[in-house]
Amino acid sequence: MGYVRGLKCRECERKYPAEPLYVCEYCFGPLEVDYDYEGIKNVLSRDVLTSRAENIWRYRELLPIDGNPIVGLQSGWTPLIRADNLAGELGVKELYVKDDSVCHPTLSFKDRVVSVAISKAAEFGFDTVACASTGNLANSVSAQAAKAKMKCFVFIPADLESGKIIAAIIYGPNVVAVEGNYDEVNRLCTEITNKHKWAFVNINIRPYYAEGSKTYIYEIIEQLGWKVPQHIVVPVAGGSLISKIRKGMVEFQKLGLIKNIDTKIYAAQGQGCAPVVTAIKQKSEIIKPVKPRTIAKSLAIGNPADGYYAYKTVTDSGGWADEATDDEIVEGIKLLARTEGIFTETAGGVTVAVAKKLIEQGVIPKDESIVICITGNGLKTQEALAGRIRQPVKIKPNIDSFEKIVHEK
Amino acid sequence: MAKKIVKLIFPQRLIKEPLTFKMAKKFNVIPNIRRARVTDTIGELVLELDGEEKNVAMGIDYLVKAGVDVRPVEGDILD
Repeated sequence: MGYVRGLKCRECERKYPAEPLYVCEYCFGPLEVDYDYEGIKNVLSRDVLTSRAENIWRYRELLPIDGNPIVGLQSGWTPLIRADNLAGELGVKELYVKDDSVCHPTLSFKDRVVSVAISKAAEFGFDTVACASTGNLANSVSAQAAKAKMKCFVFIPADLESGKIIAAIIYGPNVVAVEGNYDEVNRLCTEITNKHKWAFVNINIRPYYAEGSKTYIYEIIEQLGWKVPQHIVVPVAGGSLISKIRKGMVEFQKLGLIKNIDTKIYAAQGQGCAPVVTAIKQKSEIIKPVKPRTIAKSLAIGNPADGYYAYKTVTDSGGWADEATDDEIVEGIKLLARTEGIFTETAGGVTVAVAKKLIEQGVIPKDESIVICITGNGLKTQEALAGRIRQPVKIKPNIDSFEKIVHEK
Repeated sequence: MAKKIVKLIFPQRLIKEPLTFKMAKKFNVIPNIRRARVTDTIGELVLELDGEEKNVAMGIDYLVKAGVDVRPVEGDILD
């Protein structure tokens, strides 16, 4: 049995039943899942949690499903790595990397949210799931819909290079290429959601989908020995992850699993698509949409749905924000690979680069615990590195030729 | 008749202009304000527009041409 009380508007707090709804019919504010925390407190403890299987569903009372999950049984519980080599480079004492570049099954953080969305969609009785995506979301929805034996539609702009979605097409979804720009694809998908009885994971299932993000911070807290980090650097696209990181910490506190929350939360975006960072720096709670221009495609959301909540999360925590140029993103990817042996995608390059900047600026102190969020795998965005990394050294097939280059090194 | 929910972002130079009213009058569209945030440099307005489908479309086009950023309230969903 689940512990969901229903949905609640994040703006006016009006309550709604737990149905596939996503926007308040009065103020058009986004809806969020509300839980019976008293009930959950009676059944969840540190001992209960640590005795469970290591996947996102160990936190099932805090996730919005009523029955058993149908996908994501191996998703989550990714490594929290003590990054001493990177810490040495950055001159800090205690640094961790939460590494979702190895999340099952499609090597990104999206596997957490999609596991919840598809399990919930099946509970609602949908037989078709859909998304609009050019990357990680398409991969995860396609893979998990295949596992759940559900029909799947993925919408992309028609001018997208086909190579970008091979990792999604392999799972057999219906890929629909829309002859229009990004805004037109967005608009069409909203119209489709209103017309067809489909589970569009980040539209009508969004309140449930977004809850999966909380497992990322639950795991960090558990892996730190039931402690929150003092600083956490989070990538921002639509703004959902960063606000759910705060929600997850508050929930653990409500349940008595942790005592204090003294975490400062930092937003990281790519320069060329940094509407949330700009708002934080300008102290403006209104997010001004932008036309994205960054190599961090997985963060290229010009009009973030949860931008205001991302802004509030950061400012309420006493944190700050910064952006990384394309060159800094590539340097961030290289730095993490060179020091920790982790190959992250461009979004991870953004968080590493922004963490480095904030440490250098003295915004993040050097003697406190820091977590850098890594949300995807570098094998997916190799094109961003073209012409920006060292080439192999060529030699003739003889020992002299080899010895020559060895001595040059 | 068509109903459309939109989020409008007004840059500073347009905050003092009664653009929503002008659009409503010109295209016979009924705007229903559901939510608003206004600072001294920027304004955000969430509206439901009600009218003939082509009038709603022309009204939105009028706002865009005037320099207002008109977006769906769901935000970008191409992720």
